[in-house]
Amino acid sequence: MNQHGFILWWDRLLAMTLKELKQLIRDPVLLLIISYFFTVDVYMAGSGINLNLRNASVMVIDHDHSAASRELIYRFRQPYFDFKGEIFDTKTAESLLDQGRILAVLDIPENFQRHLLQGQATAVQFQVDSANTVLGTLATSYATEITAGFSQDFVAKRLGLGAEQMASLPIIQNRYRVLYNPNQIDGWFMSISELLTVTTMLAMMLPAAAAVREKERGTIEQLAVSPLSSLQILLPKVISMGLVILLGVAVSLFMIIIPVFDLPVKGSLGLFFTVTGLYVFTASGIGLFVATISRSLAQVTMLVILLMMPILLLSGAWTPPEAMPQVMRWAMKISPLYYFNEMSYAILLKGAGVKILWDSLLGLALLGAVFFNFGVWRFRRQFG
Amino acid sequence: MNLTRVWAVTYKEWREILRDRLFFAMAFLLPVGIFMVLGYGISFDVEKIPFAVLDLDRSAMSRDFLHRFMDSRYFDYQGHVTSERELDPLLANSDIRFAIIIPPRFQEQLLAGQATSVQSLIDGVFPYRAEVAKGYVSAIIANFNAQSLVNHLAGTQGKSQEQARAQVAPLRLESRYLYNQALRSQWSISSGLMMLVLMVTPPFLTALGVVREKENGSIYNIYASTISRSEFILGKFLPYLLISSLNILILWWVVMNVFGTPFKGHPFFYYAASVIYVICTAGVGLLISLLVRTQVAAVMLTMVVSFVPAMLYSGLLVPIESMAAATQFESHLFPTLYYLRITWGSFLKGLGWEELWFDVLALMLYAVILWIAGYMNFHKRPST
Repeated sequence: MNQHGFILWWDRLLAMTLKELKQLIRDPVLLLIISYFFTVDVYMAGSGINLNLRNASVMVIDHDHSAASRELIYRFRQPYFDFKGEIFDTKTAESLLDQGRILAVLDIPENFQRHLLQGQATAVQFQVDSANTVLGTLATSYATEITAGFSQDFVAKRLGLGAEQMASLPIIQNRYRVLYNPNQIDGWFMSISELLTVTTMLAMMLPAAAAVREKERGTIEQLAVSPLSSLQILLPKVISMGLVILLGVAVSLFMIIIPVFDLPVKGSLGLFFTVTGLYVFTASGIGLFVATISRSLAQVTMLVILLMMPILLLSGAWTPPEAMPQVMRWAMKISPLYYFNEMSYAILLKGAGVKILWDSLLGLALLGAVFFNFGVWRFRRQFG
Repeated sequence: MNLTRVWAVTYKEWREILRDRLFFAMAFLLPVGIFMVLGYGISFDVEKIPFAVLDLDRSAMSRDFLHRFMDSRYFDYQGHVTSERELDPLLANSDIRFAIIIPPRFQEQLLAGQATSVQSLIDGVFPYRAEVAKGYVSAIIANFNAQSLVNHLAGTQGKSQEQARAQVAPLRLESRYLYNQALRSQWSISSGLMMLVLMVTPPFLTALGVVREKENGSIYNIYASTISRSEFILGKFLPYLLISSLNILILWWVVMNVFGTPFKGHPFFYYAASVIYVICTAGVGLLISLLVRTQVAAVMLTMVVSFVPAMLYSGLLVPIESMAAATQFESHLFPTLYYLRITWGSFLKGLGWEELWFDVLALMLYAVILWIAGYMNFHKRPST
């Protein structure tokens, strides 16, 4: 190829990219939705959502009415529990639990205080609604911790042990440090997670929609007879949509996530955007492939959702990779979002650089090359 | 309203759906597909947390203590390191999510009846998992301490193990898990997924219905015809309602037979409530397609209003009680919350109309509002 041909090639690519951008700008509703995703949606996910159990409503049946029982009840309070008051019979308790008005009932037996003072072992009963097992387990584990703490303090008080004497017992004190997010702010995790999800969805959907629209309207025939190569038809769709998505990510990061949630960016933003660019390219490859096997946008949508579900699920954002069965863990290695996820958190929160992340970067680049080439190949077979 | 005309539109729409075989197949495959992937994939059980150890004591006691972590199914031992500096890259690359550091003179201090401390480092990128991991660590340490104290008291005060134990931990918590005694998380998740899948798929099917005619221009045939607005909307709506009503039965079968979840409620009540729910969710799709002009915009808007509430605001993944007040209010604006209560109530709690009438009424109100909004927004004389 001579120099003139080279410039012409790029000229055509540029012209097509501009055409795609113009087409996007002419659909104001779509633009509005895209900006909604990158701003309001990310904000909502980061601000109101808390995966941990807080304020679980609990009620008490107190058969003892002693100082000790009151002391125990007093410990079932915020942030974990929300004490909703006392009830007097199990019938009421059951119907409240049935209706989901409360999550748990604590039942304190008669002679609770007397037994404790006599040094006899005693037990309180904790009935918990475990229709949602996650909540059931969390509530029980908090309650166990509270009773254990009560029990320990009670013993210490009765034996007249102060803090000093506690140090002369053979026990291990637990000093933990939570790294990277010391105050365990859910907003950091949730807002980034939502941003990655939104990016996935748009990167798969927008180029695919742009490609299949040409098919639906028949304009693909015009392109096929033009002097454009398959790559020159497809690449501009990816470039233009990719630019829009990168812009969206930047807006989301600099206008929402960093200022609103006070996210400390530990690593290099340049690296983060490079990785995002690579990811958008990979996800668009999947989208283009879907566009080649569908005839209408309705079909594209269905297929994209069908593919997006496992990709989201195998990303490690909802389920920790370690807890997955071995087969699923292998499957994760072909989910591009898995690499993107790992790298985004590592760069933004842990301050990791290329030296640590090179393997994930390589994995993503390989997947990107495979998916994109496959998409172009399918397209060339159809229209080349 | 002329039923013959409604029937004509319905029949035409049905023929159109049948002719697009990929679309028709996906209308049934997509819900089941999403269902299976999520049902087997979503798990909030935090298990096999990879961890490394820095043992500066290397004594019999420290090994005994560490074995409590290695033998636990919640942790997955990855190896020993020799200095704290080696832990940083391991944590940054997510090779381990937790590290435990045993100080020198660990055994010596414990044997001398003194307190000692161990340091644990926890990866806090995913706050929920960090919280759960913290709980596991403190449970293991508390267990070790109780044992150590019992031995100590038995040794120094000459009490039997039994007496010493009652003295150390006099109070126990007995928990009873209601509705799901064995804490099978698949029961909760699989039945809860009915809500998710029936929220996500029906709107996509319907959303493309009207907007496709707008984009193709065939809507002008409708504008020019004698058919009234409500006849057209109803006619368009019926085939999709039929598909979704069949999907309810398919999913129901999968929940009971593939995931083995019991159904304790009233089948007719639940089916009726489910159909009302599907009218709401499919209605959302219909309303969207009346509002926007292009199919891409319709698809994107559908994602906004279906995915987000189903994932975040329904109570399936995120506990409603933990939300901030504003988010709690927001979550009551979507039908997902009410239907999830009906679903868990019917499947696991065996409830019926007496307990759940409020949620059913909320769904009905929702359906009516959607219908009115759709009717008001569809005009046979477009403004442009």
